[in-house]
Amino acid sequence: MRAVRTALLLAVLFLILFPIAWMALTAFKRPVDLLGLSLFFTPTLDNFRTIFSHPWNIGRTLWNSTVVAALTVLIAIPAATLAAYSFSRFEMRFKTGLFFLILATQFVPAVVVVLPFYLLFRDLGLLDTHWALVIVNLAIVTPFAVWMLKGFLDAVPAESEEAALVDGATRLRVIIDIVVPMVWPGVVVTTVFCFVLTWNEFLFALILTRDDAVTLPVGITRFRTERGDLWELIAAAGILISIPMFFLSSIIQRHFVTGMTGGAVK
Amino acid sequence: MAAIDLHDLTKAWGNFTAVKRQSLAIRDGEFMVLLGPSGCGKTTTMRMIAGLEEPTSGDILIGGQRVNDLAPRERDIAMVFQSYGLYPHMTVADNIGYPMKLRGMGRAEREAAVRAAADKVELGAFLHRKPRELSGGQRQRVALARAIIRRPRAFLMDEPLSNLDAKLRVSTRAEIKHLQHELGVTTVYVTHDQIEAMTLAHRVAVMQGGEIRQLGTPEDIYDQPADLFVAGFIGSPAMNLLAGEIQDGRFTAPGGIAVAVRVAHRGAAVLGIRPEDLRVLPPGQGDVAAAIYTVELTGEATLVTADVGGARLSARADRGFRAGIGSAIGLALDTSRLSIFDPGTTLRIKDAP
Repeated sequence: MRAVRTALLLAVLFLILFPIAWMALTAFKRPVDLLGLSLFFTPTLDNFRTIFSHPWNIGRTLWNSTVVAALTVLIAIPAATLAAYSFSRFEMRFKTGLFFLILATQFVPAVVVVLPFYLLFRDLGLLDTHWALVIVNLAIVTPFAVWMLKGFLDAVPAESEEAALVDGATRLRVIIDIVVPMVWPGVVVTTVFCFVLTWNEFLFALILTRDDAVTLPVGITRFRTERGDLWELIAAAGILISIPMFFLSSIIQRHFVTGMTGGAVK
Repeated sequence: MAAIDLHDLTKAWGNFTAVKRQSLAIRDGEFMVLLGPSGCGKTTTMRMIAGLEEPTSGDILIGGQRVNDLAPRERDIAMVFQSYGLYPHMTVADNIGYPMKLRGMGRAEREAAVRAAADKVELGAFLHRKPRELSGGQRQRVALARAIIRRPRAFLMDEPLSNLDAKLRVSTRAEIKHLQHELGVTTVYVTHDQIEAMTLAHRVAVMQGGEIRQLGTPEDIYDQPADLFVAGFIGSPAMNLLAGEIQDGRFTAPGGIAVAVRVAHRGAAVLGIRPEDLRVLPPGQGDVAAAIYTVELTGEATLVTADVGGARLSARADRGFRAGIGSAIGLALDTSRLSIFDPGTTLRIKDAP
């Protein structure tokens, strides 16, 4: 029984990790070693040098991805926090319906709306700009952020907030001074989630950018050339995309632990 | 410091009315306790005074000023919560100093004020700790210090002792009473614990079903309960209530109970007498013959429950009293301390002049 379980776990682990390991190995291979399955080859950093130099200039797309993801998160999280707080604390007409409607915006498949978005941004002169991607990503990310944050906010007892209101704070001060610090782990987790979603967004970035605002996931497709697929370069760029994710997942892990041990004083 | 006036205050949620047209005048500097079982509207009343709950109708005046439309922060009151309502991510010093920080007091001045407030509640040594590193009693003292750091027009305390253990409750209760006396700030205190009400209050408002059943000093409420609810709610063990009837100035009940009463009322009546106003005597003496149902030693007294014609009466006997269950005794009633109620209206019937 135990042996079966171990074997199953190993199989699943292999399925998950093999592509990543393969990518990691490929990124350090010379083109001649590419199709060999041997684990023994002469590692090289040439692939990374290549993708950062002309004509690939991946540094530019890396910058674009960073700017778009950072701006999106910087706008989405404060806005979503206020929205989630309102849904969590205030009574309003049609509250359940409105709350559902926020998520319902995500029920439309992206492919369906990508063309209208293209026409919209063309007319606004925003095609191939950071702002086009930031706006689109905000529309994707904010509803999720509102839902996630409301869950965290619902778990915070109202007493500390009421104490602050009586102590002389305005509602906004209460949110900044008391509520946000109390749900900080939740804010961090939501931020990371939104960052990852934006960082990996592909379809809109593909349609709405051409040269100046191309992001990493789209940039990678350029390695499929008329000379064939440059797998070693694709793998190197893949590593580049993944590195922030590794760091962010470790942040999430740490905050989930503090999130469970912290919280309100009873 | 200020007087607080409630005029016809009502709070309803849909069909449920938590507070029904209550009026209450709390004097400047008074310690007013709102006492009642859970769900009687006492906490709702307090939350309306604080501005955390909006009244459905009626007016709230603090210091003569109508505050219905003011936000909590504009009412200049301080509140102590049942679960303390501390800021878990701040140190004790920052918790206590937060109201002053909001009022724009400078750092140096604030530190001095924090220290003074913390010393008053003996928290001076804990200023750098976080609330979670404190015991329940210490946490509640942080909440008290946060309330007294500014001189608000009123203190509101919502069952501040109910999360503390029994021993701590007694000592913290004494601290609260002393602080209120020293600062002289108008205080509204909500509790379901009649001992807290008796010990702390200048006046007590006993509430039930969203209404104030009796307003008076602790002595009034204990000695002359206004109705059967107050009579049964105040006192431990509760007041003995005997159903019987009054004819020609005498109250009679099954079991041979017959005492002279000073009310003009005739017909069905309920007689109330506190356990300490019943004297336990040897058999054959006193007003009533009884049999012992049980005897409980509480330490400072012996609690005797006696069977009188099917009704049970509790009496507080001397701590040295010993008797077996079933043995016969006599009971004497202190007729100067009787309460008579009308079973129809449940109201107290006043002595005839």
